[in-house]
Amino acid sequence: MTDANPTCREIERDLVAMAAGEAAPVAARVVERHVLRCRECRDELERYRVLEGMVTDLRREPVPGADPALSRAELESRLADIRARMVGYGIFSSPLGKILIARSELGISLVEYLESERAGTSYLARLAGGEVREDRAGVEMVYRELLEYLDRRRTRLDWPLDLRWAGSDFQRRVLAATAELPYGAVTSYAGIARRIGTPSAVRAVAQALRRNPVPIVIPCHRVIGNGGDLVGYAGNKISLKRTLLSVEGVPVAARARRIERDHMYVRAGADREYCVPTCGSLSRQSLAGLTLFGSRDHAESVGLTPCTSCRPDLHPVSV
Amino acid sequence: MVKGMTQDPFEAVVATHHAEIHRYLVRTTSRAGDADDLSQETFVRAYRAYQALPPDANVRAWLFAIATNLCRNYFRSEKRRRQAMAVAAANASERGPVWPEGEAIANQVGARLDRIVAALPLKQRLAFTLRKVHELEYEAIAESLQCSAESARAHVFQALKKIRRELHDLAVVHAEPQS
Repeated sequence: MTDANPTCREIERDLVAMAAGEAAPVAARVVERHVLRCRECRDELERYRVLEGMVTDLRREPVPGADPALSRAELESRLADIRARMVGYGIFSSPLGKILIARSELGISLVEYLESERAGTSYLARLAGGEVREDRAGVEMVYRELLEYLDRRRTRLDWPLDLRWAGSDFQRRVLAATAELPYGAVTSYAGIARRIGTPSAVRAVAQALRRNPVPIVIPCHRVIGNGGDLVGYAGNKISLKRTLLSVEGVPVAARARRIERDHMYVRAGADREYCVPTCGSLSRQSLAGLTLFGSRDHAESVGLTPCTSCRPDLHPVSV
Repeated sequence: MVKGMTQDPFEAVVATHHAEIHRYLVRTTSRAGDADDLSQETFVRAYRAYQALPPDANVRAWLFAIATNLCRNYFRSEKRRRQAMAVAAANASERGPVWPEGEAIANQVGARLDRIVAALPLKQRLAFTLRKVHELEYEAIAESLQCSAESARAHVFQALKKIRRELHDLAVVHAEPQS
């Protein structure tokens, strides 16, 4: 094939395509007719066919120096590392406003009330160091259970938790003690401090709960001021705290900023019984040593029995 | 109760495609060590984007596109490109003037072809390897190289022409003219 012959040049591309079996039928016929007349192009077509054969061998032959096994093993370990850090999230509407739920391989790692979606996701990205992706389906189930809880159709949220963003061992202890508070019950920050063996660390407990990464699930709304005040929830969202408590049947008036102790049943320390608030010296005791229950059902659902002296079963609290 | 995370479907993607993508990158970079890194990077990037991939996407072509993009970035570093060219040139000069014969022919032919391919301009080398070794459709190659399918076809054609020219001693069994 000489470049001087325009016909040979014109068909060159189709000739190469034909050797590869890629030529369009019309082009193939033109090439076939041409090579009958042109010996050079006939040879050239043959050479390209030989070349195609060599190329086919290339597919079968191992590439010299290539061993993917080691690279694959390193890749698997990098992916496992990313997977462990990876957090999937969804943003949902709820009676409490927009809410972001995030989870990792290990469990739910963040429940966040959102001022705005962007603030929420950028906060999450900061926390997770970029290993974040939207995964509504992955947290949809959690969201549905949350709605059931807010609709009083569910009293337990038994989600596996990933407390990677609980900053310190102290905070984890605070969160663990708070998680023990039963549905429909409250105690005070001082009460939590006492339970984890650091009775003077009341402020630190309040700070730890303020930074609770998984509110609602770890029910920091069940922790109130020693005087019964609904203080410090998710910054200044006292109305959310009030809503959550009233969902759980804790008697709290619409605009109230505090809980009335004399409307609630009382458990002193680790007693197996519950009392009316006026039993013995209970009304004079600090809330720190007590757990208050919104109803007899709440107290009895955790295995407590009515006190045999004040008989809350016969003389219930009047609200 | 929240179910545990389901089996990650990406594990199957790695199992199915890693070896091939690795082979592609060894061929295109001519350096096994760099291919190790680039193939890992390909799958790490793919993993991060996998969630957003439409369910009907061609995963294999998508992985080749990521690998090709990384490969082009890799060669964009002029120094590396020159180094690779020097390696290719050194390898090319080792080859004898005559077509090798004997039992080892097949392997040597493959090695010689590899050396010629390694010395091709980057886009031609990538297009050629994607088409001829990995048999991707021209549309997929076009997506990898961010060009039209027609350009992808032209790159492969130019590559074949150059390879053919390099293999000037390509033997042909002459067939008798049929008329």
